[in-house]
Amino acid sequence: MIQVFDLNVEGRELFSLSFGDIVPYFSVYTGALAAFVIIFILIAIFSLPERQMNIAFGGDAYYAKEVNVPDMRFSRFMAIACGAATLGAMVTGDIFNFTLFAVMVGITNIGIVAASGNKHVLNAAFQYGIVAMLATVPLFGGAALILATTGSLSIWVLAGAGVVPLLAKALLVLGVMGEGIAPLYIGKAEIIRAQGAPYVLMIHFSSLLLFLRVIEIVLVI
Amino acid sequence: MITPFHIGLFAVSLCILVTFLSFLKEKDDLHKLILTDLAAIMALFIIALVGTDLAEALILPGLVVGISKLMALAEIYLVKEGIQQKKNSTVLDIEVLDTAPAILAAILVIYGIILSGFSGGAVAGLGIIFYLAFKKHDEKFELIETVSGYAWVTWIAAFFIFLIFPSQWFLAVMLAGGGILLKVMAKFSLIGTMRGDPGV
Repeated sequence: MIQVFDLNVEGRELFSLSFGDIVPYFSVYTGALAAFVIIFILIAIFSLPERQMNIAFGGDAYYAKEVNVPDMRFSRFMAIACGAATLGAMVTGDIFNFTLFAVMVGITNIGIVAASGNKHVLNAAFQYGIVAMLATVPLFGGAALILATTGSLSIWVLAGAGVVPLLAKALLVLGVMGEGIAPLYIGKAEIIRAQGAPYVLMIHFSSLLLFLRVIEIVLVI
Repeated sequence: MITPFHIGLFAVSLCILVTFLSFLKEKDDLHKLILTDLAAIMALFIIALVGTDLAEALILPGLVVGISKLMALAEIYLVKEGIQQKKNSTVLDIEVLDTAPAILAAILVIYGIILSGFSGGAVAGLGIIFYLAFKKHDEKFELIETVSGYAWVTWIAAFFIFLIFPSQWFLAVMLAGGGILLKVMAKFSLIGTMRGDPGV
């Protein structure tokens, strides 16, 4: 029987916690992802909000935008929560928990931009939220198909067995694409240059890491 | 071989198709918001189809994240359309807290009286906390103080009965149980009046 750490994607075993059926584990791959998440959570905790400069056209004048402190505090909280949800998605050894954490990343992504009063940004966040909500259908559907065909949701148990149908893997990837599509919507609203600059970083970061983890899961199971 | 699972999967696939088609047709944001709930329910359908104990355990977290996402989206919609009401009267400003407290408090108080004793007082007190925290509570302090005083007297009387007429122990137990019920309830209910108002 092939174990998780015999597979090429994972690398060496760093840690595994035999906790019944579901085994949370760190290979070199997931351990590195988790370490990155912790670094970015620390960045979200300690960085100060950016004070933006607007340049008045046709002259040398520029002025600083107002930074609304309670809104920024909410954004920072949501950025930290987003980091925590991403960390959960990196660490978990259970496919359904991974999908739950992916949905939580989607919710906190909405939360990070929600404090912005800009109508265009809110509109983009709303549209993203609808896409992310629709993505729960393939996401949970994929997990449910895996459970129905194999009787287990544990990555550790399913590793290398090759019993998971391709359709379930495709649905899982499709679902994560829906949840992780946030940067496209937020890029559309140009919030990178809007207020809250250090915290919107977490949206891009969580989306990237969700993709990296789902690739690992799909290759392993 | 066709199992009930396959038939169910086929039916759910049809439902999902209908849901996604309705998204293609719909242009209004509010209607889209309502349809997202339909999509979330479809996700739960697929999980429910598996029909094992594990699947049953997965439905509740799936439902919770779906609802929380729907609430976040609804809040975004309100802000986006500029139709949120600006009143910050209580910490938890939710519509259901205007209507529910009376019913829930009544249920909790009645259940607490049935339980009686310390735990009954705690349950009934929770009911009154809930009521006072979300309704007006002016001029109810005197009532609570009076009830609390009588409860203390009942309790002491019950102790005297224990000591002087041990044969009447059942009456004493009932009196003490009722007294401590009222006492704990009164103490608990004061928590419900703490709303950070000046002078309270």
